[in-house]
Amino acid sequence: MDYTFQFSEVLEDLPYLLGGAVVTLQIAFIAFWGGAIIGIFGAIAKVYGRESVRRITSAYVIFFTNTPALVQIFLLYYALPDAGILLPPMTAVLIGLVLNSGAYLTEILKAGVISVRRSEMEAATALGMSGLQILRFVMLPHIAKTIYAPLSNFFIWLVLGSSLAALFGVEELTGRAINISTTSFRSIETFTVVAGIYVILTIIASTSLALVGRWAFRVKAKIF
Amino acid sequence: MFERLLEEAPEFFNYHNMIFILEAMGRTLSMTVIGCSVGLVCGLLIAVLRQSNSRTLIPIKFIAITYVEIFRRIPFLVILFIVLFVIEPLMPGTSLLGIATVAVCLLSTAFLSEIIRAGLESVPPQQIEGAKTLNFSFLQTIMLVMLPQAWKVILPPAAAFIVMFIKDTALASQLGVIELTFVGKMLVNRGFSPMLGFGAVLICYFILSYPLSRFSEYLGKRLASS
Repeated sequence: MDYTFQFSEVLEDLPYLLGGAVVTLQIAFIAFWGGAIIGIFGAIAKVYGRESVRRITSAYVIFFTNTPALVQIFLLYYALPDAGILLPPMTAVLIGLVLNSGAYLTEILKAGVISVRRSEMEAATALGMSGLQILRFVMLPHIAKTIYAPLSNFFIWLVLGSSLAALFGVEELTGRAINISTTSFRSIETFTVVAGIYVILTIIASTSLALVGRWAFRVKAKIF
Repeated sequence: MFERLLEEAPEFFNYHNMIFILEAMGRTLSMTVIGCSVGLVCGLLIAVLRQSNSRTLIPIKFIAITYVEIFRRIPFLVILFIVLFVIEPLMPGTSLLGIATVAVCLLSTAFLSEIIRAGLESVPPQQIEGAKTLNFSFLQTIMLVMLPQAWKVILPPAAAFIVMFIKDTALASQLGVIELTFVGKMLVNRGFSPMLGFGAVLICYFILSYPLSRFSEYLGKRLASS
């Protein structure tokens, strides 16, 4: 069994791969913020909503967290054309990931909404704090402390999860890796390099998220 | 669209298709169960290793930590491809299911070792010092002091993690492992409408993972209050 590793061909394509990493980050960003908007409404609906609203939100969360994102996107991508809606691959992936992350973020943000106690709010009102002050000095620290770490973990998970976009022909990091390995036949090398890029990417992301958390919200987030 | 579903439904839900889907469900489940059992054992070993202060073990500890940190940061899809391209030339003839299972094992070891470590670290240090004063050996401390308390912290997130893995094995369809997602694709290729094919697969995944995620929630509530 002899196999000589040749990284030179892959390294030549490094700028191409790094461009893919940017697309990966973009997908993760859109999925995160899109999901966050759904999540905020979902969390408020789950905590303060009426019985019927709560039921519907729970059903949404349960359905999306218990089925694979891949199959959800398959359904969007292949089944919607039957109904006359033809989605380009990137859009299908983004819609799928946004819906999926919305479900997870509803659960995460719900924990944040619960963490603010009514008695504390009342105490703040008694001290004569304005609404904005209550938000900034009473609510935000609590919410940030409970949800910052899960949120940044979830973002990392989205960066990794966005790799499934490759299966729909979106040219993000994994997609570009597949492109390179099919033309150069240096599969092991290509995917090792790509794995390395993912590791570096997520380390940068989690380190900067932890630093931002410490600086802005005084959250003692662990870097490793 | 819905007329088409109703039209195809009797043909779709015939005996052979159902057996086909059930077998695929079995494969999905076996990948997850084998992968997560191996991951639980290896993860426990790594977590225990990280607790030890022995000097001779430092190099192994370093390797273990690097392994965990790296594999938690690579997408499952990329790990699948790497495992495929490494095992294929080394051991030609390994089944795709085997390759996918190896990939699941690698990843679940990394994730579960972190979960178990968090559990072990939740035990107050005073108790470990107490065990030391009572002249407990390292293994005794782990087995008699730490694990009996840590399992309550470990179990709920571990169950939630296994749910995540049931879903992640969907990516193995890309290698050609005949598991649920692949069966969905095959049925669609055979001419059934995608709504029916993938919808059925979605429901199968739901059947697999919903009980487990409810169990994880239940454990979380039950064990937190005790």
